[in-house]
Amino acid sequence: MAVPTSTRPEPDRVPAVERPSAGPQPQPATWVLKVVMAVTGTVFALFVVVHLVGNLKVFLGPEEFDGYAHWLQRDLLAPLVPHGWFIWIFRSTLLTCLVAHVWAAVVLRHRARVARGPHRRQGLRSFRSFQARSMLVTGVVLLFFVVFHVLDLTTGTRPAATGEFVAGQAYANLVSSFQRPAVAAFYVLAIGTLFLHLAHGLWSVVNDLGATGRRLRAIGAAVAGAVGLLVLVGNLLIPVAVLTGVVA
Amino acid sequence: MKLTLDVWRQPDAASPGAFETYVVTDATAEMTLLELLDRLNDQLVEDGREPVAFESDCREGICGCCGVDVDGRPHGPQANTPSCEQHVRSFADGDRVVLEPLRAAAFPVVKDLVVDRSALDRVVQAGGHVAVDAGTAPDADAARIGHETAETALDFAACIGCGACVAACPNGSASLFTGAKLTHLATLPQTRTERGRRAVDMVAQMEHDFGPCSTYGECAVVCPAGIPLSAIAAVGKERMRAFLRGRTG
Repeated sequence: MAVPTSTRPEPDRVPAVERPSAGPQPQPATWVLKVVMAVTGTVFALFVVVHLVGNLKVFLGPEEFDGYAHWLQRDLLAPLVPHGWFIWIFRSTLLTCLVAHVWAAVVLRHRARVARGPHRRQGLRSFRSFQARSMLVTGVVLLFFVVFHVLDLTTGTRPAATGEFVAGQAYANLVSSFQRPAVAAFYVLAIGTLFLHLAHGLWSVVNDLGATGRRLRAIGAAVAGAVGLLVLVGNLLIPVAVLTGVVA
Repeated sequence: MKLTLDVWRQPDAASPGAFETYVVTDATAEMTLLELLDRLNDQLVEDGREPVAFESDCREGICGCCGVDVDGRPHGPQANTPSCEQHVRSFADGDRVVLEPLRAAAFPVVKDLVVDRSALDRVVQAGGHVAVDAGTAPDADAARIGHETAETALDFAACIGCGACVAACPNGSASLFTGAKLTHLATLPQTRTERGRRAVDMVAQMEHDFGPCSTYGECAVVCPAGIPLSAIAAVGKERMRAFLRGRTG
C-alpha cells in the first residue's frame, strides 16, 4: 500500500491564488501621472536655474546681456542644428512639458478630491502643507506670469510690454519694463510664488521618483530648498537693482 | 474636568450624519480618549439613550482598530499616538472637543465613529502575501538576513493598518500604508521573489480606492507605528522598478 510521503501538492497542481480584481483602473494610472509631473517639473526647475544664470548677466552690462540673448536666439547648438533652430526646439519642448504638467495636475487634483470625499482635512498649519495645498493656486499664478512675461519681454506685445520695446535689445527692454512699479510688483509676487511651487515641487520629485534612502532623501530635501531659495533671491535682485538705479 | 464633546452620530452608511453635543463633567486627566468615550457611553446608557459606537480592541496601540478624528486630526492631538493612547490631559478643563470618524471616501461610515476600512484589506489581498509555492518553512539560518535588513523590514512591518494616514491626507491617499507593505516585503528574501508583480497589483488596487500623494507629509505625523515618510517614495520606486523590468502583474 502506497503511503503518501508528503501532503504537499505537486507544484503544477497548486491552485492559482485568487486575487481580487482591482476593478476599473483609472487611466492613465496615477503613478504614471506622478512621473509625468516629476519629469516635466524637473525640466522646468532646470530651466529656471539656467534662466537665472542668464538673468544675472544683467549685472555685467548691456553688451554682455544682449550678447547672451543673441547667442541663445541664434547661435546655441549651431552648427549642430542650423542657426536659430535651437530656440524653437527648446520652446516646443517647454510647451509640451507645460501642457503635460498642467494636464497631469488637473487629473490628479480631481482624483484627490474624489478620494478625499466631502469632508475636507481641516486645520493644517505646517509650511509644508501650506505649500502642498497651494500648488494649484501657485501654478495658476505662474501660468499667468509666464504668459505676461513672454508678451512683455519676448514678443513685445503691448500693453504687457512698454512702448519702448525693441526686439533684440533685451537689456533696455528689461530696464524699461521694471521701471513700471506695478510690473515690478507682479514680478516679485511671481518670484515668491515660484519659490513656494519650486521648493515643494522638487521635494515631491524626490519622493515620486522613489528616493527611499535616508542620505539621498536628505540631499534631495536640501537641494529642493536650496534651488528654491537661489531662484528666489537671485531673481529678486533684478527688479530691486532696476528700481534703485543700480541697473539702468 | 469638564469637557464638551461634539460627537458625530450616524445610524448607518446610508443615513446622513450630524454632530451631537454631550458634556462629560467627571473626566480625569489620566483617562484615555477611549475611556472618555466609555464614560460618555455610561452616561448615555444610564439616560436610556443610544451609546456612541466606536471601535477598539487591544487598547495598547497594537491592533489598529481604534482611530477617530479628534478636532480634525486622526487619532488625536498627540503625534504618532493611537486614539487608545491619547489622554484627556491633552485638553484643558472646559475644552470643546470634536470627535468624528476617520474621513476618506474609501472609508464609509458603518455607524457613528466606526468606519469600514476594507479598502486597505483589499490592497493587502492584492499582493501582501506569498502566492507561489514557497515550500515548508526554511531553517532559521538557511537564508541569512543581516541585522540592519531585518530591522528595516520590521520597521515597515510595524504598520497596524489603522487608516490614520489616509484620513490625515487631504488627498485621501494610502501611499504610506502601501509603501510600508511594499518596503517590508521587498526587503526580505522569500517575499522578494514576487516583488515586481506585487508592486503592480498593490499599486493598481491602491489607485482604485485612494488618491494620489502630494507630499503633504501629514500621514507620517499621525502614524502610530512611526512609519517614515520614505514609505511614500517606495510606492513610486517599486512601481517604476516593476515597469522597467516589464512586469505586468
